[in-house]
Amino acid sequence: MRAIKAIFMRNLINFYRDRTRFFFTIFMAVFFLFIFSFVMKAAAIGMANPMNYLISGIIIMSVFQTALNNSMNIIEDVASGFMREILVSPISRWQISIGQVLSSTAIALLQGLIIVIIGLFMGLQADPLHFLEMIGVMILVGIAFSSIGLWLATLAKSSTTFQVLVSVFVMPLTFLSGAYIPTTAMPGFLLPIVYLNPLTYTTSVFRYISLKMEGLPAAQLIKAGVAFNIHGFTIMPYFGLIMIVFIGMLFLSLCVSQFNRADFSTVKVFRHSR
Amino acid sequence: MNNIIEVSNFTKRFGDFTAVDNISFSVEEGSIFAFLGPNGAGKSTTINTLCTILDKTEGRLKINGTDVAENKSKVRKDIGIVFQESTLDGKLTARENIYLHCDFYNVPKNEVGERADFVLELVDLQEWGNAPVASLSGGMKRRVEIARGLAHSPRVLFLDEPTAGLDPQTRANIWDYVRKLQQQQNITIFLTTHNMEEAEICQQIAVIDHGRLVALDTLHNLKAQYTSTTMRIRTKQEDLLSGYLRERSLRYEINDGMFTVSSAQLATILEVVSTFHNCITDLEISKGTLNDVFLAITGREVRA
Repeated sequence: MRAIKAIFMRNLINFYRDRTRFFFTIFMAVFFLFIFSFVMKAAAIGMANPMNYLISGIIIMSVFQTALNNSMNIIEDVASGFMREILVSPISRWQISIGQVLSSTAIALLQGLIIVIIGLFMGLQADPLHFLEMIGVMILVGIAFSSIGLWLATLAKSSTTFQVLVSVFVMPLTFLSGAYIPTTAMPGFLLPIVYLNPLTYTTSVFRYISLKMEGLPAAQLIKAGVAFNIHGFTIMPYFGLIMIVFIGMLFLSLCVSQFNRADFSTVKVFRHSR
Repeated sequence: MNNIIEVSNFTKRFGDFTAVDNISFSVEEGSIFAFLGPNGAGKSTTINTLCTILDKTEGRLKINGTDVAENKSKVRKDIGIVFQESTLDGKLTARENIYLHCDFYNVPKNEVGERADFVLELVDLQEWGNAPVASLSGGMKRRVEIARGLAHSPRVLFLDEPTAGLDPQTRANIWDYVRKLQQQQNITIFLTTHNMEEAEICQQIAVIDHGRLVALDTLHNLKAQYTSTTMRIRTKQEDLLSGYLRERSLRYEINDGMFTVSSAQLATILEVVSTFHNCITDLEISKGTLNDVFLAITGREVRA
Protein backbone atom coordinates (compact mmCIF):
# COMPACT_ATOMS: atom_id res chain seq x y z
CA MET A 1 0.00 0.00 0.00
CA ARG A 2 2.76 2.39 1.00
CA ALA A 3 4.65 1.75 -2.25
CA ILE A 4 1.54 2.33 -4.38
CA LYS A 5 0.85 5.57 -2.57
CA ALA A 6 4.48 6.63 -2.99
CA ILE A 7 4.41 6.05 -6.76
CA PHE A 8 1.02 7.77 -6.97
CA MET A 9 2.25 10.87 -5.13
CA ARG A 10 5.49 10.97 -7.06
CA ASN A 11 3.68 10.96 -10.40
CA LEU A 12 1.31 13.69 -9.25
CA ILE A 13 4.21 15.85 -8.08
CA ASN A 14 5.96 15.30 -11.40
CA PHE A 15 2.82 16.27 -13.27
CA TYR A 16 2.37 19.36 -11.16
CA ARG A 17 5.99 20.44 -11.80
CA ASP A 18 5.69 19.89 -15.54
CA ARG A 19 3.61 22.99 -16.25
CA THR A 20 3.95 22.89 -20.04
CA ARG A 21 2.23 19.54 -20.32
CA PHE A 22 -0.50 20.71 -17.99
CA PHE A 23 -1.22 23.91 -19.91
CA PHE A 24 -0.96 22.20 -23.27
CA THR A 25 -3.72 19.73 -22.46
CA ILE A 26 -5.99 22.51 -21.19
CA PHE A 27 -5.19 24.56 -24.25
CA MET A 28 -6.07 21.65 -26.56
CA ALA A 29 -9.42 21.21 -24.85
CA VAL A 30 -10.32 24.87 -25.14
CA PHE A 31 -9.09 24.87 -28.73
CA PHE A 32 -11.34 21.94 -29.62
CA LEU A 33 -14.21 23.59 -27.83
CA PHE A 34 -13.72 26.69 -29.95
CA ILE A 35 -13.18 24.98 -33.33
CA PHE A 36 -15.92 22.41 -33.06
CA SER A 37 -18.48 24.84 -31.80
CA PHE A 38 -18.42 26.23 -35.37
CA VAL A 39 -18.77 22.77 -36.90
CA MET A 40 -21.51 21.94 -34.46
CA LYS A 41 -23.60 24.94 -35.36
CA ALA A 42 -23.99 23.56 -38.85
CA ALA A 43 -24.46 19.94 -37.79
CA ALA A 44 -26.67 20.42 -34.80
CA ILE A 45 -29.80 21.55 -36.49
CA GLY A 46 -32.75 20.59 -34.36
CA MET A 47 -30.64 19.88 -31.31
CA ALA A 48 -31.82 21.41 -28.07
CA ASN A 49 -28.47 22.50 -26.69
CA PRO A 50 -25.57 22.03 -29.11
CA MET A 51 -22.97 23.72 -26.89
CA ASN A 52 -23.59 21.40 -23.95
CA TYR A 53 -23.59 18.46 -26.28
CA LEU A 54 -20.14 19.43 -27.47
CA ILE A 55 -18.74 20.25 -24.01
CA SER A 56 -19.72 16.88 -22.61
CA GLY A 57 -17.97 15.15 -25.51
CA ILE A 58 -14.83 17.22 -25.02
CA ILE A 59 -14.74 16.54 -21.28
CA ILE A 60 -14.74 12.80 -21.70
CA MET A 61 -12.25 12.96 -24.59
CA SER A 62 -9.77 14.92 -22.48
CA VAL A 63 -10.15 12.39 -19.68
CA PHE A 64 -9.51 9.58 -22.09
CA GLN A 65 -6.56 11.22 -23.86
CA THR A 66 -4.90 12.40 -20.67
CA ALA A 67 -5.18 8.95 -19.16
CA LEU A 68 -3.66 7.37 -22.23
CA ASN A 69 -0.85 9.89 -22.61
CA ASN A 70 0.11 9.93 -18.97
CA SER A 71 0.96 6.28 -19.12
CA MET A 72 3.77 7.32 -21.38
CA ASN A 73 5.76 8.70 -18.47
CA ILE A 74 6.71 5.13 -17.67
CA ILE A 75 8.77 5.15 -20.87
CA GLU A 76 10.45 8.36 -19.76
CA ASP A 77 11.20 6.70 -16.44
CA VAL A 78 12.87 3.81 -18.23
CA ALA A 79 14.88 6.19 -20.40
CA SER A 80 15.94 8.46 -17.52
CA GLY A 81 17.03 5.46 -15.44
CA PHE A 82 14.59 6.08 -12.60
CA MET A 83 12.77 2.86 -13.42
CA ARG A 84 15.86 0.91 -12.35
CA GLU A 85 15.66 2.46 -8.90
CA ILE A 86 12.10 1.17 -8.62
CA LEU A 87 12.84 -2.22 -10.15
CA VAL A 88 15.72 -3.04 -7.79
CA SER A 89 13.73 -2.06 -4.70
CA PRO A 90 11.89 -4.74 -2.73
CA ILE A 91 8.43 -3.64 -3.92
CA SER A 92 6.48 -5.88 -6.29
CA ARG A 93 5.94 -5.15 -9.93
CA TRP A 94 2.15 -5.16 -9.64
CA GLN A 95 2.37 -2.35 -7.10
CA ILE A 96 4.26 -0.28 -9.65
CA SER A 97 1.65 -0.77 -12.36
CA ILE A 98 -1.29 -0.14 -10.03
CA GLY A 99 0.33 3.05 -8.73
CA GLN A 100 0.93 4.10 -12.30
CA VAL A 101 -2.67 3.46 -13.42
CA LEU A 102 -4.12 5.22 -10.38
CA SER A 103 -1.95 8.30 -10.85
CA SER A 104 -2.83 8.57 -14.56
CA THR A 105 -6.48 8.25 -13.59
CA ALA A 106 -6.19 10.99 -10.98
CA ILE A 107 -4.48 13.33 -13.43
CA ALA A 108 -7.10 12.55 -16.10
CA LEU A 109 -9.89 13.22 -13.59
CA LEU A 110 -8.28 16.51 -12.62
CA GLN A 111 -8.04 17.52 -16.26
CA GLY A 112 -11.67 16.54 -16.83
CA LEU A 113 -12.81 18.54 -13.82
CA ILE A 114 -11.04 21.64 -15.06
CA ILE A 115 -12.96 21.41 -18.32
CA VAL A 116 -16.17 20.77 -16.42
CA ILE A 117 -15.53 24.05 -14.61
CA ILE A 118 -14.88 25.85 -17.90
CA GLY A 119 -18.06 24.18 -19.18
CA LEU A 120 -20.08 25.50 -16.25
CA PHE A 121 -19.26 29.02 -17.39
CA MET A 122 -20.31 28.13 -20.91
CA GLY A 123 -23.76 26.92 -19.97
CA LEU A 124 -23.28 23.35 -18.78
CA GLN A 125 -25.54 22.60 -15.85
CA ALA A 126 -24.89 19.98 -13.21
CA ASP A 127 -26.63 19.27 -9.92
CA PRO A 128 -24.68 17.41 -7.19
CA LEU A 129 -26.06 13.97 -8.13
CA HIS A 130 -25.19 14.30 -11.80
CA PHE A 131 -21.86 15.77 -10.89
CA LEU A 132 -21.05 12.69 -8.80
CA GLU A 133 -22.20 10.42 -11.60
CA MET A 134 -19.96 12.29 -14.01
CA ILE A 135 -17.00 11.87 -11.67
CA GLY A 136 -17.79 8.17 -11.43
CA VAL A 137 -17.76 7.73 -15.20
CA MET A 138 -14.59 9.82 -15.52
CA ILE A 139 -12.83 7.57 -12.99
CA LEU A 140 -13.92 4.43 -14.82
CA VAL A 141 -12.81 5.83 -18.17
CA GLY A 142 -9.56 6.97 -16.57
CA ILE A 143 -8.76 3.53 -15.18
CA ALA A 144 -9.67 1.79 -18.44
CA PHE A 145 -7.57 4.01 -20.67
CA SER A 146 -4.65 4.39 -18.27
CA SER A 147 -4.47 0.59 -18.34
CA ILE A 148 -4.57 0.53 -22.12
CA GLY A 149 -1.90 3.24 -22.18
CA LEU A 150 0.36 1.39 -19.76
CA TRP A 151 -0.13 -1.81 -21.69
CA LEU A 152 0.83 -0.10 -24.96
CA ALA A 153 3.76 1.68 -23.31
CA THR A 154 5.09 -1.58 -21.89
CA LEU A 155 4.78 -3.22 -25.29
CA ALA A 156 6.24 -0.27 -27.19
CA LYS A 157 9.18 0.38 -24.83
CA SER A 158 10.07 3.60 -26.65
CA SER A 159 8.29 6.91 -26.73
CA THR A 160 8.42 7.18 -30.52
CA THR A 161 6.73 3.81 -31.00
CA PHE A 162 4.17 4.78 -28.41
CA GLN A 163 3.45 8.08 -30.16
CA VAL A 164 2.99 6.27 -33.46
CA LEU A 165 0.63 3.75 -31.85
CA VAL A 166 -1.34 6.58 -30.31
CA SER A 167 -1.69 8.58 -33.50
CA VAL A 168 -2.49 5.60 -35.72
CA PHE A 169 -5.27 4.24 -33.52
CA VAL A 170 -6.33 6.92 -31.12
CA MET A 171 -6.83 9.99 -33.28
CA PRO A 172 -9.16 8.30 -35.82
CA LEU A 173 -11.11 6.58 -33.06
CA THR A 174 -11.48 9.87 -31.22
CA PHE A 175 -12.98 11.56 -34.25
CA LEU A 176 -15.26 8.62 -34.98
CA SER A 177 -16.66 8.49 -31.46
CA GLY A 178 -19.15 11.31 -31.74
CA ALA A 179 -17.34 13.41 -29.17
CA TYR A 180 -16.63 16.30 -31.52
CA ILE A 181 -18.85 15.52 -34.49
CA PRO A 182 -22.24 13.94 -33.73
CA THR A 183 -22.53 10.39 -35.03
CA THR A 184 -25.89 11.34 -36.46
CA ALA A 185 -24.08 13.73 -38.81
CA MET A 186 -21.63 11.14 -40.09
CA PRO A 187 -21.86 9.50 -43.52
CA GLY A 188 -23.24 5.99 -43.56
CA PHE A 189 -20.06 4.22 -44.67
CA LEU A 190 -18.28 5.31 -41.44
CA LEU A 191 -20.99 3.97 -39.15
CA PRO A 192 -19.66 0.38 -38.85
CA ILE A 193 -16.40 1.81 -37.44
CA VAL A 194 -18.39 4.10 -35.16
CA TYR A 195 -20.33 1.12 -33.82
CA LEU A 196 -17.19 -0.97 -33.27
CA ASN A 197 -15.38 1.89 -31.56
CA PRO A 198 -15.45 1.54 -27.75
CA LEU A 199 -15.03 5.30 -27.43
CA THR A 200 -18.46 5.77 -29.01
CA TYR A 201 -20.12 4.18 -26.01
CA THR A 202 -17.81 5.92 -23.56
CA THR A 203 -18.89 9.22 -25.01
CA SER A 204 -22.56 8.30 -25.18
CA VAL A 205 -22.87 7.26 -21.55
CA PHE A 206 -21.10 10.36 -20.33
CA ARG A 207 -23.25 12.56 -22.50
CA TYR A 208 -26.36 10.73 -21.34
CA ILE A 209 -25.51 11.62 -17.76
CA SER A 210 -24.19 15.13 -18.20
CA LEU A 211 -27.11 16.19 -20.42
CA LYS A 212 -29.63 14.61 -18.01
CA MET A 213 -31.33 12.40 -20.55
CA GLU A 214 -32.72 9.88 -18.07
CA GLY A 215 -36.28 8.88 -18.80
CA LEU A 216 -36.23 9.88 -22.44
CA PRO A 217 -37.69 7.28 -24.81
CA ALA A 218 -35.26 5.21 -26.90
CA ALA A 219 -36.25 6.87 -30.15
CA GLN A 220 -35.26 10.27 -28.80
CA LEU A 221 -31.97 8.95 -27.43
CA ILE A 222 -31.17 7.51 -30.84
CA LYS A 223 -31.94 10.82 -32.44
CA ALA A 224 -29.63 12.56 -29.96
CA GLY A 225 -26.84 10.12 -30.78
CA VAL A 226 -26.44 8.62 -27.30
CA ALA A 227 -28.24 5.37 -28.15
CA PHE A 228 -27.74 3.44 -31.36
CA ASN A 229 -29.98 1.44 -33.61
CA ILE A 230 -27.89 -1.18 -35.36
CA HIS A 231 -30.07 -3.18 -37.76
CA GLY A 232 -33.04 -3.08 -35.45
CA PHE A 233 -30.99 -3.84 -32.33
CA THR A 234 -31.01 -0.91 -29.90
CA ILE A 235 -27.92 -0.18 -27.81
CA MET A 236 -28.81 1.90 -24.78
CA PRO A 237 -26.33 4.17 -22.92
CA TYR A 238 -26.00 1.86 -19.92
CA PHE A 239 -24.41 -0.59 -22.34
CA GLY A 240 -21.56 1.93 -22.55
CA LEU A 241 -21.05 1.67 -18.82
CA ILE A 242 -20.85 -2.13 -18.94
CA MET A 243 -18.44 -1.78 -21.83
CA ILE A 244 -16.12 0.60 -19.92
CA VAL A 245 -16.08 -1.65 -16.89
CA PHE A 246 -15.33 -4.65 -19.09
CA ILE A 247 -12.54 -2.89 -21.02
CA GLY A 248 -11.16 -1.56 -17.75
CA MET A 249 -10.96 -4.98 -16.11
CA LEU A 250 -9.55 -6.62 -19.22
CA PHE A 251 -6.78 -4.12 -19.79
CA LEU A 252 -5.97 -3.63 -16.12
CA SER A 253 -5.19 -7.33 -15.84
CA LEU A 254 -3.41 -7.27 -19.21
CA CYS A 255 -1.19 -4.36 -18.29
CA VAL A 256 -0.35 -5.74 -14.84
CA SER A 257 0.67 -9.10 -16.29
CA GLN A 258 2.53 -7.48 -19.19
CA PHE A 259 4.36 -5.23 -16.77
CA ASN A 260 5.25 -8.18 -14.55
CA ARG A 261 6.91 -9.89 -17.48
CA ALA A 262 8.43 -6.84 -19.15
CA ASP A 263 12.18 -6.79 -18.97
CA PHE A 264 13.22 -3.17 -19.51
CA SER A 265 16.27 -3.66 -17.37
CA THR A 266 17.72 -6.73 -19.03
CA VAL A 267 17.59 -5.10 -22.42
CA LYS A 268 19.34 -2.00 -21.13
CA VAL A 269 21.79 -3.75 -18.83
CA PHE A 270 22.89 -6.18 -21.48
CA ARG A 271 23.81 -3.44 -23.94
CA HIS A 272 25.77 -1.57 -21.32
CA SER A 273 27.69 -4.53 -20.02
CA ARG A 274 28.93 -5.56 -23.44
CA MET B 1 35.68 -12.26 9.86
CA ASN B 2 32.38 -13.06 8.16
CA ASN B 3 31.99 -13.28 4.45
CA ILE B 4 29.09 -11.04 3.52
CA ILE B 5 29.19 -11.97 -0.16
CA GLU B 6 29.91 -15.47 -1.38
CA VAL B 7 30.02 -16.37 -5.04
CA SER B 8 30.84 -19.84 -6.23
CA ASN B 9 31.13 -21.10 -9.79
CA PHE B 10 29.03 -18.26 -11.15
CA THR B 11 28.44 -18.31 -14.90
CA LYS B 12 26.25 -15.99 -16.94
CA ARG B 13 25.53 -16.50 -20.60
CA PHE B 14 23.52 -14.35 -23.01
CA GLY B 15 22.63 -16.76 -25.79
CA ASP B 16 25.94 -18.03 -27.12
CA PHE B 17 27.93 -15.28 -25.50
CA THR B 18 29.49 -16.11 -22.14
CA ALA B 19 29.72 -12.85 -20.22
CA VAL B 20 30.98 -14.36 -16.98
CA ASP B 21 32.75 -17.69 -16.95
CA ASN B 22 32.78 -19.76 -13.76
CA ILE B 23 34.04 -17.27 -11.19
CA SER B 24 34.24 -17.72 -7.42
CA PHE B 25 35.13 -15.21 -4.74
CA SER B 26 34.05 -13.95 -1.35
CA VAL B 27 34.00 -10.53 0.28
CA GLU B 28 34.74 -9.91 3.94
CA GLU B 29 32.22 -7.94 5.94
CA GLY B 30 33.24 -4.31 6.39
CA SER B 31 35.85 -4.24 3.66
CA ILE B 32 36.12 -2.34 0.40
CA PHE B 33 36.23 -4.77 -2.47
CA ALA B 34 37.07 -3.76 -6.01
CA PHE B 35 36.11 -5.51 -9.16
CA LEU B 36 38.69 -4.36 -11.62
CA GLY B 37 38.67 -4.90 -15.33
CA PRO B 38 38.24 -3.27 -18.71
CA ASN B 39 34.81 -2.41 -20.14
CA GLY B 40 33.01 -5.52 -21.27
CA ALA B 41 34.97 -7.81 -18.96
CA GLY B 42 31.85 -8.94 -17.10
CA LYS B 43 31.93 -6.54 -14.15
CA SER B 44 28.48 -5.08 -14.66
CA THR B 45 27.01 -8.49 -15.40
CA THR B 46 28.32 -9.79 -12.08
CA ILE B 47 27.16 -6.76 -10.11
CA ASN B 48 23.74 -6.87 -11.79
CA THR B 49 23.34 -10.53 -10.91
CA LEU B 50 24.34 -9.87 -7.30
CA CYS B 51 21.81 -7.03 -7.25
CA THR B 52 19.02 -9.37 -8.46
CA ILE B 53 18.56 -7.52 -11.76
CA LEU B 54 19.84 -10.40 -13.86
CA ASP B 55 19.39 -14.11 -13.26
CA LYS B 56 22.44 -16.34 -13.11
CA THR B 57 22.93 -19.15 -15.62
CA GLU B 58 24.87 -21.37 -13.22
CA GLY B 59 26.48 -21.24 -9.80
CA ARG B 60 25.58 -19.91 -6.40
CA LEU B 61 25.53 -16.32 -5.16
CA LYS B 62 24.86 -15.37 -1.55
CA ILE B 63 24.58 -12.02 0.17
CA ASN B 64 24.44 -11.88 3.95
CA GLY B 65 23.67 -15.60 3.97
CA THR B 66 20.71 -15.30 1.57
CA ASP B 67 20.72 -16.96 -1.83
CA VAL B 68 20.26 -14.22 -4.42
CA ALA B 69 18.11 -16.40 -6.67
CA GLU B 70 15.88 -17.65 -3.85
CA ASN B 71 14.91 -14.60 -1.86
CA LYS B 72 15.26 -11.51 -4.01
CA SER B 73 13.36 -9.14 -1.77
CA LYS B 74 15.45 -10.02 1.30
CA VAL B 75 18.61 -9.46 -0.71
CA ARG B 76 17.23 -6.17 -2.06
CA LYS B 77 16.69 -4.90 1.47
CA ASP B 78 20.25 -5.81 2.45
CA ILE B 79 21.90 -3.96 -0.39
CA GLY B 80 22.16 -0.43 -1.67
CA ILE B 81 23.02 0.22 -5.29
CA VAL B 82 24.53 3.18 -7.05
CA PHE B 83 24.43 2.64 -10.77
CA GLN B 84 26.79 3.93 -13.39
CA GLU B 85 24.03 6.06 -14.92
CA SER B 86 21.85 8.28 -12.80
CA THR B 87 18.62 6.75 -11.53
CA LEU B 88 17.41 9.82 -9.66
CA ASP B 89 14.15 11.57 -10.43
CA GLY B 90 15.34 14.95 -11.68
CA LYS B 91 12.06 16.73 -10.97
CA LEU B 92 12.12 15.77 -7.30
CA THR B 93 14.42 17.32 -4.73
CA ALA B 94 17.28 15.34 -3.17
CA ARG B 95 15.24 14.90 0.00
CA GLU B 96 12.13 13.80 -1.92
CA ASN B 97 14.20 11.22 -3.77
CA ILE B 98 15.40 9.85 -0.44
CA TYR B 99 11.88 9.83 1.05
CA LEU B 100 10.59 7.96 -1.98
CA HIS B 101 13.38 5.43 -1.58
CA CYS B 102 12.45 4.95 2.08
CA ASP B 103 8.84 4.27 1.04
CA PHE B 104 9.99 1.62 -1.39
CA TYR B 105 12.24 -0.03 1.21
CA ASN B 106 9.64 0.31 3.96
CA VAL B 107 11.83 2.30 6.35
CA PRO B 108 9.65 3.01 9.44
CA LYS B 109 7.84 6.30 8.80
CA ASN B 110 8.94 8.00 12.00
CA GLU B 111 12.60 7.35 11.13
CA VAL B 112 12.50 8.61 7.56
CA GLY B 113 13.21 12.29 8.32
CA GLU B 114 16.12 11.44 10.57
CA ARG B 115 17.57 8.96 8.08
CA ALA B 116 17.40 11.57 5.31
CA ASP B 117 19.23 14.15 7.48
CA PHE B 118 21.82 11.57 8.41
CA VAL B 119 22.64 10.35 4.90
CA LEU B 120 22.63 13.86 3.43
CA GLU B 121 25.11 14.89 6.10
CA LEU B 122 27.30 11.87 5.31
CA VAL B 123 27.83 13.21 1.80
CA ASP B 124 27.93 16.87 2.90
CA LEU B 125 24.72 17.83 1.16
CA GLN B 126 22.62 18.91 4.15
CA GLU B 127 22.31 22.37 2.60
CA TRP B 128 21.08 20.98 -0.71
CA GLY B 129 18.31 18.69 0.46
CA ASN B 130 15.57 20.85 -0.98
CA ALA B 131 17.19 21.59 -4.33
CA PRO B 132 15.66 19.87 -7.36
CA VAL B 133 18.06 17.13 -8.44
CA ALA B 134 18.11 18.40 -12.02
CA SER B 135 19.76 21.62 -10.80
CA LEU B 136 22.68 19.85 -9.09
CA SER B 137 26.12 19.24 -10.62
CA GLY B 138 27.25 15.79 -11.75
CA GLY B 139 29.31 15.19 -8.62
CA MET B 140 26.49 16.29 -6.33
CA LYS B 141 24.04 14.03 -8.10
CA ARG B 142 26.37 11.11 -7.55
CA ARG B 143 26.55 12.02 -3.86
CA VAL B 144 22.76 12.22 -3.63
CA GLU B 145 22.67 8.82 -5.22
CA ILE B 146 25.13 7.42 -2.66
CA ALA B 147 23.10 9.01 0.15
CA ARG B 148 19.90 7.51 -1.21
CA GLY B 149 21.51 4.09 -1.54
CA LEU B 150 22.33 4.24 2.17
CA ALA B 151 18.94 5.49 3.34
CA HIS B 152 17.58 2.04 4.19
CA SER B 153 20.75 1.08 6.13
CA PRO B 154 22.00 -1.63 3.78
CA ARG B 155 24.75 -4.09 4.77
CA VAL B 156 26.45 -3.88 1.39
CA LEU B 157 26.73 -0.87 -0.90
CA PHE B 158 27.31 -1.62 -4.56
CA LEU B 159 28.96 1.14 -6.53
CA ASP B 160 29.11 0.57 -10.26
CA GLU B 161 31.84 2.84 -11.63
CA PRO B 162 31.15 5.43 -8.92
CA THR B 163 33.38 8.13 -10.34
CA ALA B 164 32.96 7.57 -14.07
CA GLY B 165 32.58 10.90 -15.87
CA LEU B 166 33.57 13.05 -12.89
CA ASP B 167 36.44 15.52 -12.71
CA PRO B 168 39.53 14.56 -10.64
CA GLN B 169 38.66 16.74 -7.66
CA THR B 170 35.12 15.40 -7.41
CA ARG B 171 36.53 11.90 -7.77
CA ALA B 172 38.81 12.43 -4.81
CA ASN B 173 35.85 13.70 -2.78
CA ILE B 174 33.76 10.66 -3.62
CA TRP B 175 36.61 8.38 -2.55
CA ASP B 176 36.81 10.24 0.74
CA TYR B 177 33.10 9.64 1.33
CA VAL B 178 33.45 5.98 0.45
CA ARG B 179 36.36 5.55 2.87
CA LYS B 180 34.52 7.45 5.59
CA LEU B 181 31.49 5.26 5.11
CA GLN B 182 33.43 2.09 5.40
CA GLN B 183 35.24 3.24 8.53
CA GLN B 184 32.31 4.82 10.36
CA GLN B 185 29.40 2.65 9.30
CA ASN B 186 31.12 -0.69 8.89
CA ILE B 187 29.39 -1.09 5.57
CA THR B 188 30.85 -3.47 3.04
CA ILE B 189 31.55 -1.67 -0.20
CA PHE B 190 31.67 -3.50 -3.48
CA LEU B 191 32.78 -1.36 -6.35
CA THR B 192 33.49 -2.00 -9.97
CA THR B 193 35.94 0.16 -11.78
CA HIS B 194 38.36 0.34 -14.63
CA ASN B 195 40.12 3.18 -12.92
CA MET B 196 43.37 2.10 -11.29
CA GLU B 197 43.60 4.89 -8.74
CA GLU B 198 40.12 4.05 -7.58
CA ALA B 199 41.08 0.46 -6.91
CA GLU B 200 44.02 1.63 -4.78
CA ILE B 201 41.70 2.46 -1.86
CA CYS B 202 40.39 -1.09 -1.70
CA GLN B 203 41.49 -3.86 0.61
CA GLN B 204 40.72 -6.65 -1.81
CA ILE B 205 40.96 -6.54 -5.55
CA ALA B 206 39.57 -9.01 -8.04
CA VAL B 207 40.86 -8.63 -11.55
CA ILE B 208 38.45 -9.83 -14.20
CA ASP B 209 39.10 -10.11 -17.90
CA HIS B 210 37.03 -11.72 -20.64
CA GLY B 211 34.59 -13.01 -18.04
CA ARG B 212 37.28 -14.85 -16.08
CA LEU B 213 38.70 -14.06 -12.68
CA VAL B 214 42.43 -13.72 -13.33
CA ALA B 215 43.62 -12.51 -9.93
CA LEU B 216 42.18 -12.02 -6.46
CA ASP B 217 44.26 -10.64 -3.62
CA THR B 218 45.07 -7.64 -1.49
CA LEU B 219 46.50 -4.63 -3.23
CA HIS B 220 49.81 -5.17 -1.42
CA ASN B 221 50.14 -8.81 -2.44
CA LEU B 222 49.18 -8.10 -6.02
CA LYS B 223 51.85 -5.46 -6.28
CA ALA B 224 54.43 -7.63 -4.58
CA GLN B 225 53.65 -10.52 -6.86
CA TYR B 226 53.24 -8.80 -10.20
CA THR B 227 55.27 -5.64 -10.14
CA SER B 228 58.89 -4.78 -9.64
CA THR B 229 60.59 -1.88 -7.93
CA THR B 230 61.97 0.66 -10.32
CA MET B 231 64.94 2.90 -9.51
CA ARG B 232 66.14 5.89 -11.43
CA ILE B 233 69.66 6.77 -10.38
CA ARG B 234 72.35 9.24 -11.42
CA THR B 235 75.92 8.94 -10.15
CA LYS B 236 79.26 10.66 -10.62
CA GLN B 237 80.74 7.32 -11.65
CA GLU B 238 78.69 6.01 -14.52
CA ASP B 239 81.31 3.49 -15.68
CA LEU B 240 81.55 1.89 -12.26
CA LEU B 241 77.76 1.67 -11.99
CA SER B 242 77.27 0.12 -15.41
CA GLY B 243 80.04 -2.39 -14.66
CA TYR B 244 78.42 -3.23 -11.34
CA LEU B 245 75.01 -3.76 -12.95
CA ARG B 246 76.42 -5.90 -15.75
CA GLU B 247 78.30 -8.02 -13.22
CA ARG B 248 75.03 -8.81 -11.45
CA SER B 249 73.26 -9.20 -14.79
CA LEU B 250 70.70 -6.51 -13.91
CA ARG B 251 69.06 -4.98 -16.95
CA TYR B 252 69.24 -1.23 -17.19
CA GLU B 253 68.70 1.67 -19.52
CA ILE B 254 70.67 4.87 -19.67
CA ASN B 255 69.15 8.09 -20.75
CA ASP B 256 71.37 11.17 -20.53
CA GLY B 257 73.31 9.74 -17.57
CA MET B 258 70.12 8.61 -15.75
CA PHE B 259 70.06 4.86 -15.14
CA THR B 260 66.72 3.08 -14.93
CA VAL B 261 66.93 -0.26 -13.14
CA SER B 262 64.06 -2.60 -12.33
CA SER B 263 64.02 -5.59 -10.04
CA ALA B 264 61.45 -7.71 -8.31
CA GLN B 265 63.66 -7.76 -5.23
CA LEU B 266 63.78 -4.57 -3.20
CA ALA B 267 67.00 -5.81 -1.55
CA THR B 268 68.83 -5.81 -4.88
CA ILE B 269 67.87 -2.19 -5.42
CA LEU B 270 68.92 -1.18 -1.92
CA GLU B 271 72.25 -2.91 -2.40
CA VAL B 272 72.98 -0.74 -5.41
CA VAL B 273 72.11 2.35 -3.38
CA SER B 274 74.31 1.40 -0.45
CA THR B 275 77.24 0.52 -2.69
CA PHE B 276 77.15 3.86 -4.50
CA HIS B 277 75.78 6.05 -1.71
CA ASN B 278 78.84 8.29 -1.78
CA CYS B 279 78.50 9.34 -5.37
CA ILE B 280 74.73 9.42 -6.01
CA THR B 281 73.57 12.79 -7.34
CA ASP B 282 69.94 11.92 -7.99
CA LEU B 283 67.73 9.04 -6.91
CA GLU B 284 64.12 8.01 -7.32
CA ILE B 285 62.59 4.70 -6.26
CA SER B 286 59.05 3.75 -7.13
CA LYS B 287 56.81 0.77 -6.61
CA GLY B 288 54.80 -0.63 -9.49
CA THR B 289 51.26 0.61 -9.94
CA LEU B 290 48.09 -1.38 -10.27
CA ASN B 291 48.31 -0.67 -13.97
CA ASP B 292 51.56 -2.67 -14.02
CA VAL B 293 49.78 -5.46 -12.19
CA PHE B 294 47.07 -5.51 -14.80
CA LEU B 295 49.64 -5.39 -17.57
CA ALA B 296 51.56 -8.29 -16.04
CA ILE B 297 48.44 -10.43 -15.59
CA THR B 298 46.63 -9.83 -18.85
CA GLY B 299 49.47 -8.76 -21.09
CA ARG B 300 47.86 -5.44 -21.90
CA GLU B 301 46.72 -2.20 -20.37
CA VAL B 302 43.20 -1.65 -19.16
CA ARG B 303 41.14 -0.60 -22.11
CA ALA B 304 39.50 2.53 -20.84
